[in-house]
Amino acid sequence: MTFLEIVSILARGAGFTILVTLACILTGFFSGLLAALLFRLDIRPLNWLLHAFTYTFRGIPLLVILFLVFFGLPSIGLPIPPLVAMMLSLGLICGAYLSEVFRGALEAVDPNELMAAQSMGMRRIQILTAIEIPQMLRFSAPGMLNEFTTVLKYSPFAYTVGVPEILKEATSLALTTLRGMEIYLAVGVLYFLIYKIMMEMFLWVERRYAIPGFKQI
Amino acid sequence: MTLLQVRGLTKKHDDVGVLNGVDFSLCKGEIKIVMGPSGCGKTTLLRCLNRLQEPSSGEIIFDGEEITAAAVDIQQVRQRIGFVFQNFALYRHLSALDNVKLGLRKLRGLSDAEATQRAIYELSRVEMQDHQDKYPAHLSGGQQQRVAIARALVMDPAVLFFDEPTSALDPLMAREVANLLNRLHDEKVTILCVTHDVTLAKNLPGDVLFLNHGRVEAEAPISELMKNHANENVRAFFEQKAPSE
Amino acid sequence: MSEAFAFLNDIVDYGPQILSGLINTLILAGTISVTGLLAGILIFRLTLSDNEIIRKSTARYISFFIGTPLIVLLFLMYYGLPQWGINFSPFTIAVIGFTLNIAAYNSRYLSAAYNGIDQHQLMAASAQGFSSRQIFTLIILPQTLRRAIPGLTNQVALNIKDSSIAFLIQYVDFFAQMQEQASLNFQYLKVYAVTGAVYLLLVSLVIFASKRLETRYAIPH
Ligand SMILES: Nc1ncnc2c1ncn2[C@@H]1O[C@H](COP(=O)(O)OP(=O)(O)OP(=O)(O)O)[C@@H](O)[C@H]1O
Ligand SMILES: [Mg+2]
Repeated sequence: MTFLEIVSILARGAGFTILVTLACILTGFFSGLLAALLFRLDIRPLNWLLHAFTYTFRGIPLLVILFLVFFGLPSIGLPIPPLVAMMLSLGLICGAYLSEVFRGALEAVDPNELMAAQSMGMRRIQILTAIEIPQMLRFSAPGMLNEFTTVLKYSPFAYTVGVPEILKEATSLALTTLRGMEIYLAVGVLYFLIYKIMMEMFLWVERRYAIPGFKQI
Repeated sequence: MTLLQVRGLTKKHDDVGVLNGVDFSLCKGEIKIVMGPSGCGKTTLLRCLNRLQEPSSGEIIFDGEEITAAAVDIQQVRQRIGFVFQNFALYRHLSALDNVKLGLRKLRGLSDAEATQRAIYELSRVEMQDHQDKYPAHLSGGQQQRVAIARALVMDPAVLFFDEPTSALDPLMAREVANLLNRLHDEKVTILCVTHDVTLAKNLPGDVLFLNHGRVEAEAPISELMKNHANENVRAFFEQKAPSE
Repeated sequence: MSEAFAFLNDIVDYGPQILSGLINTLILAGTISVTGLLAGILIFRLTLSDNEIIRKSTARYISFFIGTPLIVLLFLMYYGLPQWGINFSPFTIAVIGFTLNIAAYNSRYLSAAYNGIDQHQLMAASAQGFSSRQIFTLIILPQTLRRAIPGLTNQVALNIKDSSIAFLIQYVDFFAQMQEQASLNFQYLKVYAVTGAVYLLLVSLVIFASKRLETRYAIPH
């Protein structure tokens, strides 16, 4: 079996790796955005809950949350499919980190511009969607790339709950061929490739929406 | 005809009076200048007039409507009051054109084509049509100012508020602003302009409202205020501003 | 009530194993935090090298380790090395793998901190006649380390959490013992909740210490 053959077998798992990564990134993006926006409402008990959310999801290892969700919830009658378990663990962890990124970026929006929008007669929600969120997302780009990369790097743990992604294919292949060295080297190369492609795509989008001279002040 | 009538307007910050009973009126087509020492409450006055800050008491009658009442749809009122900020406050993620279009699209619900057409017309009124695709970061202070004016004008406001329109500009640009305000005045735009700038005030046709400690202490053409005025605060203010005259 | 008691009883019965697991977790997290910091400083030093080839390969190293999952590296050593007759213990493999990985992240924190320091001081130091080695140890390192405290201590918190993946290469840490416990009493939800709470406590201690360090070593300006 040549190195290329190994890579092609592993590549079958790449689809699932990408699926898991995307599902968790989307979960993280929307939960992080929601948390950051809810923080803005500045309601005491709600802030408490949001702090508790970010603190726990940033403080507990992925595998513990994943196992809690995947093995623990069925015991109280809530069976969770593997992909959903990943979204509820890795996705929400990403959301907890992103909510901090988004909160910081929202604070960086110039209050003078918000007052200008208010003085034009724009409503709260219009100001949010037309001024705050577009600026906030641009400020958040580096932080988002960081968190998305982290999601990709933790996606292999999906194999522990039975998702047939790259690492899963690799472990079965390693068991039958006993050529762990080449196999895991190929796995590393494959992940690095996906990482590079993902990063290029992200940077492309970032450039596409870049605004000349727009910086955090 | 009176467009804006203000009676007994007060604003307190933690029991400290910033505005202590301001009375004045502004007629359609009139230009009025608000002057006074730093901290006397000029910015606060402008912001109370469209309730960016809530007044503590008093009446503001705008176009026949008492706008301090809780039931008033203040967003609707604000759409008819153009506000040009001291630091321009252009939306930095939008091009000059999109800055001007935003209100038409989001508040007036105009189609993209209509909004673009109107916005370009308004930008050409302030001679900024050649810079419409630039972003705020790449515009000079004077250019940003003109975009901010176009952004306010495009909504067809009944009145235009300016807060220190020349303070962030060099003298040459400041002169341009005076010309522009005069042109708008000729076009019957109603203007309320806060300024420190005696040169600007001298170049504008309207009366000056002299504000001190949150009260109107004098209201007259600037030439009168500068000629050994009876009020000692007025004298002190202009003495310090233009000692040679 | 009796159910909760039985649960506690299980944990107490299994106490010694859980405790030894916890100690193993702390040993691993502690070791890799130290080696990761030292290796991170080394990598950071290499990014400042005058030699372009060294700088380029260092950048590749960092990019590679930031772009590939650590677990792959651990599996590579655990399942791959025996092929060549090399058999390391899970602990050794974990320390090597984590160190290589953490070093990449720590060097990034240090580089970011370095970019924030006033470059004139460095010029002043070379004008005074300090060698580049002296400048690094006397001026650059003390300042970047202080400025990087938030990032570096955040990395320690990550190390504690991430050390939990070492059970996948049969390192018997706290998490491994708790899984054993769960498979014995089938109380998955409770056992993993307790596990999470313990990690949260450990991470909180690190965050607390980090805040203390930050104020203690703040650079006045
Ligand atoms: N949020 C606030 N809380 C307390 N005091 C305030 C607040 N905002 C403004 N003030 C005070 O109100 C007074 C008037 O402020 P304002 O900004 O209206 O002055 P101004 O006449 O515009 O001054 P300038 O010419 O410097 O712009 C000042 O003394 C200021 O310190
Ligand atoms: Mg002011």
